[in-house]
Amino acid sequence: MECNESRQLIEAAIDGELDLLRHIELESHLSGCPECARISEALRARKAALRESLPRFTSPPQLAGKVMAALHADGAPMPASIPKLGPRPMKWPIWIGVGIAASIAFILAAGYQWGNARARSDLLSEEAVSDHIRSLQFNHLSDVTSTDQHTVKPWFAGKIDFSPPVIDLAAAGFPLTGGRLEHLAGRPAAALIFHRRQHAINLFIWPIARNAVSSRRSELAGYHTQSWTQGGFNFLAVSEISAAELSQFSTAFQAANPG
Amino acid sequence: MEAPVPSAPPTFENLMLPHLDAAYNLARWLLRDPHDAEDAVQEACLRAYRAIHRFRGGDGRPWLLTIVRNVCYSHLRKNRREPEPAPFDDDTHGSTHDPAEANAVAWREIQSERLRQGLDRLPDEFREIIVLHELEGLSYREIASVVEIPVGTVMSRLARARRKLQAELIALSAKETPHGV
Repeated sequence: MECNESRQLIEAAIDGELDLLRHIELESHLSGCPECARISEALRARKAALRESLPRFTSPPQLAGKVMAALHADGAPMPASIPKLGPRPMKWPIWIGVGIAASIAFILAAGYQWGNARARSDLLSEEAVSDHIRSLQFNHLSDVTSTDQHTVKPWFAGKIDFSPPVIDLAAAGFPLTGGRLEHLAGRPAAALIFHRRQHAINLFIWPIARNAVSSRRSELAGYHTQSWTQGGFNFLAVSEISAAELSQFSTAFQAANPG
Repeated sequence: MEAPVPSAPPTFENLMLPHLDAAYNLARWLLRDPHDAEDAVQEACLRAYRAIHRFRGGDGRPWLLTIVRNVCYSHLRKNRREPEPAPFDDDTHGSTHDPAEANAVAWREIQSERLRQGLDRLPDEFREIIVLHELEGLSYREIASVVEIPVGTVMSRLARARRKLQAELIALSAKETPHGV
């Protein structure tokens, strides 16, 4: 190897970008050429100085939060740290009816029943949205990851006391990606995870038992929820996809579920 | 039954947020202002999020840095008062210095602040390539994809950038000791 060629290769060699064969050729040239060896030594010192002493700016601590907030405003899930959504204050306090005439008490009681049902269903949506966010945050979407309904369904057996309907909706544009155990409305629930583009949909399923959910949609902190009942089960879907798409999902699931 | 090891699909958050420092460092060096750099990173993350369907997997860093770089350059174009600089030409920015001149700088004693000043004086294209390679540790190939130039050009531009930095450092110390030594 000539000095000319060697000098063109020294930097690439120091950068770790030279192929092995030419590296060996270069090394053998350097061992016999004090001038090139001296240059190589100087370039090596230069690189070390750049790597060690050039200041690297680190992002200010608030930047990650700002970025997440900007994404969230744009419709993204997963704000960096959303506190678990707490229960809302009851809209209709019980004591309101105390000591009031029976007829008025009856009206109030009816109102309270309605308010209570509504509050309960709000709480449920909040709990589900909160579970959804947590599942994204802690990267814990699935306990069982599979796109095969015949793998996901048996996985729940022995873990919960019911057998949830597990259906892959890939044909409708909502591929099943896994399942997870959840706790919702004070009892174990099955969570099925579907995807729509890069967005996750959590579908919570639990037996109706005493409390059937009402069919309703809601929006909370940018997430949409939709609930319905079918074949003895409550269903509650949560996602950051649009309400229209979530409704499409719900329709597709109900159509594919034999009930 | 044994449950498979859970592996959630990667989210935007865990693909891109680990590279926030790299994104900020590049923006900070290109724009030379902490607030502009923050804004640029935010804008870049938003663009990256909207275009995530175009991400083909692998390391998210070169991908995010490509977007950061584009945001920075459009910011610079918008805010530059002087007429748009001529397109960067590696040949006219060449240096005839012999690499032996690396010996003219006492690299082992060089101060961090002096290096910062020297790098700050380089044209954007030289500054960014040193930042990408020496500070962010990107390979020639990764730099080629971020800067959108051939690998061969990465190699020659990087060599020129270092030589130019060297010349700036020599000029800076000459300024400090105007009467020579």
